[in-house]
Amino acid sequence: MSPSVLQRIASGDTAAVRDCMQEYGPLVWSIARRLSRTPADAEDATQEIFLDIWRSAARFDASQGSDKVFIAMIARRRLIDRLRKTSAEPPMDPVESLEAVAWADPGTASETSVEAEQAAKALAELRPEQRQVLELGLLHGLSQSEIATRLEIPLGTVKSFMRRGLIKVRELMNIDAEGVSAST
Amino acid sequence: MTERPQNQLDEATLDLLIKQVTDGLAPAEQRELDVLDSGVASEWRRELERAAAAINLAGSTDASPLPAALARTIARQAEQHFASVRHATEPTAAAADRKIASLEAERAAASLQRVPPSYGNRNGIYGWLAAAACLLLAAIGWLRGPVETVPPSAQVSPAAVVAPAEKPLTPPTPAEQRDALLAKAGSIKITLGGTKDSGSAGMSGDVVWDPATQRGYMHFTGLAANDPSIHQYQIWIFDSTRDKHFPVDGGVFDVPANAVEVVIPIRATLMVRKPAAFAVTVEKPGGTVVSGREHVVALGAAG
Repeated sequence: MSPSVLQRIASGDTAAVRDCMQEYGPLVWSIARRLSRTPADAEDATQEIFLDIWRSAARFDASQGSDKVFIAMIARRRLIDRLRKTSAEPPMDPVESLEAVAWADPGTASETSVEAEQAAKALAELRPEQRQVLELGLLHGLSQSEIATRLEIPLGTVKSFMRRGLIKVRELMNIDAEGVSAST
Repeated sequence: MTERPQNQLDEATLDLLIKQVTDGLAPAEQRELDVLDSGVASEWRRELERAAAAINLAGSTDASPLPAALARTIARQAEQHFASVRHATEPTAAAADRKIASLEAERAAASLQRVPPSYGNRNGIYGWLAAAACLLLAAIGWLRGPVETVPPSAQVSPAAVVAPAEKPLTPPTPAEQRDALLAKAGSIKITLGGTKDSGSAGMSGDVVWDPATQRGYMHFTGLAANDPSIHQYQIWIFDSTRDKHFPVDGGVFDVPANAVEVVIPIRATLMVRKPAAFAVTVEKPGGTVVSGREHVVALGAAG
């Protein structure tokens, strides 16, 4: 089995840097634009995310998931950190543009990654309002409080929807769900 | 099947973990999580982060490539990062050389501090001396640092050059942009001095830098013309929050034969948080990621 691009980066293969940007640049750019307040913020964040990727490549464990998920995790961490440090303004995607968000079709998401397929399947099993909460929180970067305000539902309901959605995906990703039932 | 109580997680902890991976936690919430954590939170956090990332993958169906300029910047930063990693793991003579430079700088700084202040506030003088010592340390360390063989820096678009005879362009010229930046509140101006290098003979110049917008210009008179096919000038910015051995690359530029005065836009490839000094070196065409420092032709320190 050939090494992944992250494993190549970790081993000092300089050509892998270009491959990584080519292969995962669109993913990082997509997430950064959604979870940033301005286009300039998105550009700064993308630079920081790639620096994080170079620094973290050696920690990538292929047995724990794909390159794509690892990189999306790094991107999310950085972007959440940036959102917390900046003002209370929401990210640049207005909620009115929600129609523009297209979830991957569970039947074709496997072309993106196994994990995306699992997530799409889990999302398809959720109620529309639960899916909307996940969409606002994870794809548009709204905080739980902001979601509660926008949808005019109690904060506790937002937390509950978020929890169920994430745990459903977690279960479908073949992660041990022991101990969760009491919390859901 | 053996029960795995270590995987049990109470609802309050789970709520905090979910908030951590979706919103981030306030310091008080983080402290609360630290108190509640029975040792399995980090594992749960990782799994929830994976789930959130997978949802992002399922929702990121658009695939716009990185903008070209951004991709170039990231590629340059990668070069700098990996050069820095190589340097950090490099043992031996280079480290010894830097140690000597560091000791010399400390000696120089000590001699500066022995000079009795003749007037003014003592704390102010000591503050100035400390700043001067830091700069000296950085500059000596940098100038005497190791010469590395590194891949060439990605080509930055040629710097704009203003010669007196040029007709003004419709968009503001670099000189006009420099003037505008100089008038902007918060911008700083630093005088550039020559060095012992023959390339700086007769040169004078300055830097105008705006920390807020990360834009700046170098202005020179008398800087020798270069043949871009043989060598180019390269700008370096010392950021006191970064490793002094790795100043931020500010781009390469050329001085044409007929130019009396040039204004060069600075293209910092990394965020410069606390500019401590600016320098110009002569490098091979395209510049370098880590300068060999054989030819430093201009150097100026922030006040």
